Amino acid sequence: MSDFYDWPGGREAMLRFGPAGGPVVVLALPLFEEANRTRTFAVGLLRKLADRGVAGLLPDLPGQNDSAVATEHAMLAGWRAAFAAAAAATGRPVHSVTMRGGSLIDHDARVVSRWQLAPAKGDALIRELFRTAQAAGEPVEIDLNAWSDEGGPVTIAGNRISRPLLRDLNAADCVRDGPVRVVRLETDPAIADRKVEGAPLWRRNEPGDDPALASILADDIADWIARCAS
Amino acid sequence: MARAPSALPNPQGSRYRADTMTKHHAAASVDRTVRAVLKDVLALGDSRVAAFDDNTPLFGALPELDSMAVAGVLTELEDRLGFLIDDDEVDGEMLETFGALRRFVERKVNG
Repeated sequence: MSDFYDWPGGREAMLRFGPAGGPVVVLALPLFEEANRTRTFAVGLLRKLADRGVAGLLPDLPGQNDSAVATEHAMLAGWRAAFAAAAAATGRPVHSVTMRGGSLIDHDARVVSRWQLAPAKGDALIRELFRTAQAAGEPVEIDLNAWSDEGGPVTIAGNRISRPLLRDLNAADCVRDGPVRVVRLETDPAIADRKVEGAPLWRRNEPGDDPALASILADDIADWIARCAS
Repeated sequence: MARAPSALPNPQGSRYRADTMTKHHAAASVDRTVRAVLKDVLALGDSRVAAFDDNTPLFGALPELDSMAVAGVLTELEDRLGFLIDDDEVDGEMLETFGALRRFVERKVNG
């Protein structure tokens, strides 16, 4: 069901799934192009959670998806404030479910727990963004340590992205305190609480889906939420 | 705390034998990983990827491998195998054929 939420910078759309009571998952997609590649998968995951009695929200963040905020005005602080507002507006116990770079934006939200799929550090995402621009023959010229650089937005794979956002993301990391569960693909050598078989949809050149993986993850999340509550 | 390598027990027997086995294993697993990454990132079928040989042309021949996909393939290889590729190492040659890409990755893995 389509709905909206308010945050200090305005109003954004969100999708709502599952029961009107009980714990609710607020989901943060991966960032930039990776969001387009995983949105279908993430919506499927929230539907499967709803089938298991867990409610879910997928908020648009300012400057992403259908937001009225231009992409080039997106800021990390704005994403974090908006995500926190969407979580707070539920008035229910919130569990944040984040994927890849989405794990960089749930810092300000009051949540019972965090569940992260293949969480990525900001500097790794920035490196990959710059590599994409380079491969497309449009190398990014920016000094990520020059905090007083007030140059205009840079274009990467068709997206205009502000310099402050690139610098903030480059320095950002995931929350590791409190109840956190990290799930990664078996092919990823980084440390995780659980490894699951599957392909990295966020790197696929065409948007895809993996309902079997979504089912496994929905079971894992539902079980994790039940354990957090007990 | 890390201990000196010489203090570690060597389950493979002699040092020479252990090194030989490690390298042999690396070559097979690099081949497997490069195929798996191409399959996963480019969404290619199992049989298509299994049929790749050293002379199979990649960049310019596989329509799925556009410039954006190149970035995804290289980053996924870095993540799975634990090395970093400098931008100036990336050229048309390393992506020309499956064999060229596999040999490039082998060199990175074996440092």
